[in-house]
Amino acid sequence: MAKEITVALAGNPNSGKTTVFNNLTKARQHVGNWPGVTVEKKVGSCSHDGYNISVVDLPGVYSLTAYSLDEVIARDFIVDEKPDVVVDIVDASNLERNLYLAVQLLEMGVKLIIALNMMDMAESRKYQIDVKEMSRLIGVPVVPLVANRNKGTSELLQTMVDVAEGKVEVLGLRLDYGREVERELAKLEQIINGNPLARRYSPRWLAIKLLEEDEEIIKKFKEVKGGQRTSATR
Amino acid sequence: MVVKSLDELKSGEKGKIVRVRGKGSVHRRIIDMGVVTGTEVEMQRVAPLGDPIEIKVKGYCLTLRKEEASNIYVEVS
Repeated sequence: MAKEITVALAGNPNSGKTTVFNNLTKARQHVGNWPGVTVEKKVGSCSHDGYNISVVDLPGVYSLTAYSLDEVIARDFIVDEKPDVVVDIVDASNLERNLYLAVQLLEMGVKLIIALNMMDMAESRKYQIDVKEMSRLIGVPVVPLVANRNKGTSELLQTMVDVAEGKVEVLGLRLDYGREVERELAKLEQIINGNPLARRYSPRWLAIKLLEEDEEIIKKFKEVKGGQRTSATR
Repeated sequence: MVVKSLDELKSGEKGKIVRVRGKGSVHRRIIDMGVVTGTEVEMQRVAPLGDPIEIKVKGYCLTLRKEEASNIYVEVS
């Protein structure tokens, strides 16, 4: 019997998530060249290398705070449904802004693949991206794509399976926030480790969110039995 | 060195962000969009009635309300 995996597609608005989704699932979702086309998550499926892959197209977001509905949908799916693999579709012609989301995804402790989309656009802007070096620095597989010409799709499928099987390791990078913040994060993490939430979420991610005073996360701590003490961080 | 609020820049004027004032969700979103201390910005254009404005930051164009831009301080270069 075929093995099942779930893959979530995340990324900034207008980075080509739906185009990638259509390439993978051969679906015909409406693709518009403006941000905000996907407001709800969409699910499709495909098979590759003995796997049935459920592909979930998440709304485009710049960040994973809890301030807008799109961000909450994307974040809740990743946090609660725990997809086997998350593919961050990154606009290669606008790396700096796009990689901010990649860092947030890594902090959540997901198995991440970066799909560098619009490589043709990046090249026409004379950007040279060393894909291997980028993969080494960030500690995740990086797959170049030109989604609107369906280039790189099979490589992406294979990487998804390899990551799900553990054939390709996702190390992830740990961003150093400096001595002061790290000291507080370490203290919080220690407290969080004794909390039931730590079994479901990365303790470091929870600690970062508490320092950011993220309302959704504070609420989660309050809901958990015995959480009152740990939620009083300030 | 002159420090101005971002809404006071003329189109084509460039500078480096030295402070982003504010709190809450709008402040957080502005930071999420890459408008952080130390970042280069360039005023692109201003809408006919002076609001909103478009700036270039981290290689892309971002449109801000004048009021939001007034909380962002820039060292003009």
